[in-house]
Amino acid sequence: MSLGRTLAIRGLTLLGVLVVVLLLVIITLGATGFSERILTATMSEQLRGEREVLARTIRDPLQLENALQARRDELVRFYGLDKPWYQNLPNVTRRVVTLDLGQARTLRTSDGSSKVSSLIMERLPRTILLVTTASVITSVIGLWVGVKLATRAGTGWDKAVSYLSAVSFALPAWWAGILFILIFAFHLDVFPEGGLYGTPPPEGGLARFGDLLYHALLPILTLTVVSLGGWIYAVRTMVLNTSQEFFVTVARAKGLSEGQVMRRYILRAAAPPIVTSLILGLTGSLGGAILTETVFNWPGMGRLYFDAIQSADETVIVALTFVFTLMYVAARFVLEVLYVILDPRVRYA
Amino acid sequence: MLSFLRRQGTLKLMLSSNSGRIGVALFLSMVVISLVVVAVYPLDFGKTKWNNPAYWADNPQSVPPSWWRFFTGKDHIVHHIHSAGSPSAVDPRDTGPLLRYNFSFDASSGAIPSFTSISLSGVSYYSTPPVVTLRLRRPDGRLVTVLQEVVRGPQGDGVTPQTRFDDTPYRVFLSGNDSVQVNLADFLFQEFSLQAQPSQLQGSVESVLFGTPQPGGGFQPLRGGYTAIVDLQMRDARDRANFVDSVKFVRGGTVYGLMGTDATGRDLFTGLLFGFPVALTIGISTALISSAIGAALGIISGYRGGKTDIIIQRTADVFTNIPLLPILIFLIFVLGAKLWLVVLILALFGWPGLTITTRSMVLQIRSGQLVEATQALGASQWRIMFRHVIFQIAPFLLAQVIFFTPAAILAEAGLSFLGLGDPSIPTWGQILESGFRTGAVFVGYWWWVLPPGILIAVTALCFVLLTMALEPIVSPRLRTGQ
Repeated sequence: MSLGRTLAIRGLTLLGVLVVVLLLVIITLGATGFSERILTATMSEQLRGEREVLARTIRDPLQLENALQARRDELVRFYGLDKPWYQNLPNVTRRVVTLDLGQARTLRTSDGSSKVSSLIMERLPRTILLVTTASVITSVIGLWVGVKLATRAGTGWDKAVSYLSAVSFALPAWWAGILFILIFAFHLDVFPEGGLYGTPPPEGGLARFGDLLYHALLPILTLTVVSLGGWIYAVRTMVLNTSQEFFVTVARAKGLSEGQVMRRYILRAAAPPIVTSLILGLTGSLGGAILTETVFNWPGMGRLYFDAIQSADETVIVALTFVFTLMYVAARFVLEVLYVILDPRVRYA
Repeated sequence: MLSFLRRQGTLKLMLSSNSGRIGVALFLSMVVISLVVVAVYPLDFGKTKWNNPAYWADNPQSVPPSWWRFFTGKDHIVHHIHSAGSPSAVDPRDTGPLLRYNFSFDASSGAIPSFTSISLSGVSYYSTPPVVTLRLRRPDGRLVTVLQEVVRGPQGDGVTPQTRFDDTPYRVFLSGNDSVQVNLADFLFQEFSLQAQPSQLQGSVESVLFGTPQPGGGFQPLRGGYTAIVDLQMRDARDRANFVDSVKFVRGGTVYGLMGTDATGRDLFTGLLFGFPVALTIGISTALISSAIGAALGIISGYRGGKTDIIIQRTADVFTNIPLLPILIFLIFVLGAKLWLVVLILALFGWPGLTITTRSMVLQIRSGQLVEATQALGASQWRIMFRHVIFQIAPFLLAQVIFFTPAAILAEAGLSFLGLGDPSIPTWGQILESGFRTGAVFVGYWWWVLPPGILIAVTALCFVLLTMALEPIVSPRLRTGQ
C-alpha cells in the first residue's frame, strides 16, 4: 500500500465520520419534530412583529388577516414546514456543510453579531489556545516521565507514579477545576476564579496578553493534570512492553549504551502505539475542554456549547456539534499523517 | 467465563498486588452500600423526596456537616427538631380546650440558631381553626411572646370536624414573620428599653430570642435552659385534645448531619448515598452492553473474514472517531434527559475499540490448533465463535468491561454537570451541578462540591485499580516486569 493510498483511506474514514455525525444530528432533529417546533416558534415570533407593522398601514381587519395569512404561507414555504422533514434533508445538509449556519437566537458575540459563524470564529481561537497548550505540555511531560518510569519499572517511584496516574485518570476534569478554584482562587487567592480578562481588562497589547495567560493558567493546569496520568501510564506500559522484545536484548548485547537503546530501538518501535494513544487522548481533552471552559467561565467553544444548552439555542447546538466533530477529525488527520511518518510498516507494507 | 477465571487463579493474582487489593476492597464496599440503599430507599426517591422542597423544609440551608464544629473553633449549634404527638397539658374550657406543648432544651453553645420555626400537622376542628401562641421562657427568667395567630384555614361546617395540613404541615418561620418582628420590638422596648423598628429585626429574630442586647450593639448569646411553650386554643367545645397530630419546634443548626445541607436544606448525605447504586448501574450496564456488542462484532469480524470483516471494521473505524461527549450532549438535549438513554447512547458508541482489538486476537486464535480441532469435530461456525474462541479471550474481555466502567460513570457525571442530568434520579454529578450553578464554589461551601466529586473520582479509581491489577493477567509479559 502506497503512502498516498493509506492516507486516502484514512481521509475517507474521517469523511465518513463527518457524514455519520451530520446525518445523526439532522435526522434526530427532524424525526423528533424538534426542528419543526423551533422553526414554528421562530415563525410565529416573526409574524407577531410583522403584524404590528402591517396594522399601522392596513386598517381593515379582514384585509389585515388576509395579508398576514399570505405572509404566513410564504414563511411556511421558506422554512420548508409544508414538507415532511426528510424532504428538507438536502437543504439543511447543504447549509451545515457550507457552514451557512444561520443566526443564534439569544447568544451574541462581543460586538453584538448573532451570526453563528462569527460566534464560532470568535470563540474557536480561545479553545485552541487551551487545548493545544495543554496537549503539548501533557505529551512532553508524559513522554519524559513515562520513559523514565519504564527504565525503573517495579521501583517505589514507578509504583507511586502509577498510582498517581490512576488517580489523575479517575479525576473528572471539571471537578479538578472546581478543586483548583477552591484552592487557588478562593483560599489562596493567587489566581482568578475564571473569565478571559480581569475587570477592567488591562490596556496595551502585551499587558492584555499577559492577563489572558494569567487567566488561562488554571484551566490549562486542570486539563493537563487530568490527562497527564493516563498518558504517563500508557507511555510507560508501551515502552516496557517493547523493551522486553528480543531485538532490544540483542541491541543491549551489542554493547550499545542504554540511551542509544532507548532512542534507537525502544522508542522508535514504541512510537506508533504511543501516537495512537495520543490520538485517543484528544477525544478526552476536547470533551474535557467543554466542561473545563464551563467551570472557568472561559468564553471558548465549550462555554458556548454550555450557554447554548442553557438557552436551548438549537442552531448553535447543531453548528457546534458539527464544528466539534470537524475539529476533532482535523486533529485526527494530522496525527494520522504523523503515524504514517513514524511507522514504516504502514508505508512499505 | 467466571469458572475459567477461577481456574486460572485470576482472583488470587489480582489479590497479590496492592492495587488489586485496594480495588477489590473498594468495589465490595460500594456493592454493599448500594445493596443497603436499594433495600432502604424508596424507588421514587428522586421525585418524592430529593426534588421535593417541602420534604426538606425543616432543615437548615447551606450549613456544613456536624463534625465540622470540632475543626473550626467557633461555636456551632447542632440541628434540633423538638416534636410532640400529644400535648403536655390540656385545659378543658367551655369555648374549646387549650392544648399546651412544652419543649425544654438547654442551649449550652455560644451560637445562635440559623433559623427557628414551628409547624403543626394534621389539625382538625369543628367550626373555627385554632389560635396558636408561641412563648419562650429564657434562662434569665424573661418570658417572650413570640407569635400569636389564627391557623390559616377555612371555617368548618360545624357538623363534622375537618382536617387540614395532613401532607404539608402548617409552618411558620419566625425569622421572616412580620408579627414576630413587632412582638420582639415590643419585648426589647419593655425589657431592655431598646427602641427598634420591627423591620430592623428582620434576619436577627433568633439573636433577640436567644441573646441579650449588648451596650455597644449586637447580641450576646444567652446560655442556659429554655422552654418553648406552644399553646393551641381550640375554638369549639367539641374539639378534642387529639385533634392535632403533631407539633414541632425547630431550632435550625449551624451544622447538620454527616455531610451538611445544600441551599434548599437537602441532607447531602442521603443524596450522596443514593448515588452509589446509580453510579454502579450506569457504569456496569454501559460497560456490559458495549463490551458485548464489541466482542461479538470483533469475533465475527475476525473469524468470518471477507466482506463481513471489511464492513464491520470500516464501521468501527468511523464510530471510533466520533467525539463522544459532543454527540452525547446533543442527543440528550434533543431526546430528553433520561438515564436509560444516556446508558444506551454510551453503549452504542463505546463498542468499536473493543471490536478492533478483539478481531486482531481472534485472527491469531483462528489459525490455532484448538479451532482446527473443533472444526474437524464438525462444530458449527457460531458454536466455535461463541463457545471456543470467546473462551480464550475471556480474561481480556473481563478487563475491558472493568476498563469501560469508569468512562461511563465519568461521562454521565459530566453530562449532569452541564445540567442535562435525569431529574428523577439524583446522581453525584447533579449534586455537584446544583452546587456549581448556585455559586457554592465561590462562597466556599466545600461540603457541597467536594464529596460528590471525591465519590465520582474514588469510584472511577476503584475500576482503574482493578484494571491495573488485571493487566499482568491479560498481558502476561508484564508479570516479570512488576
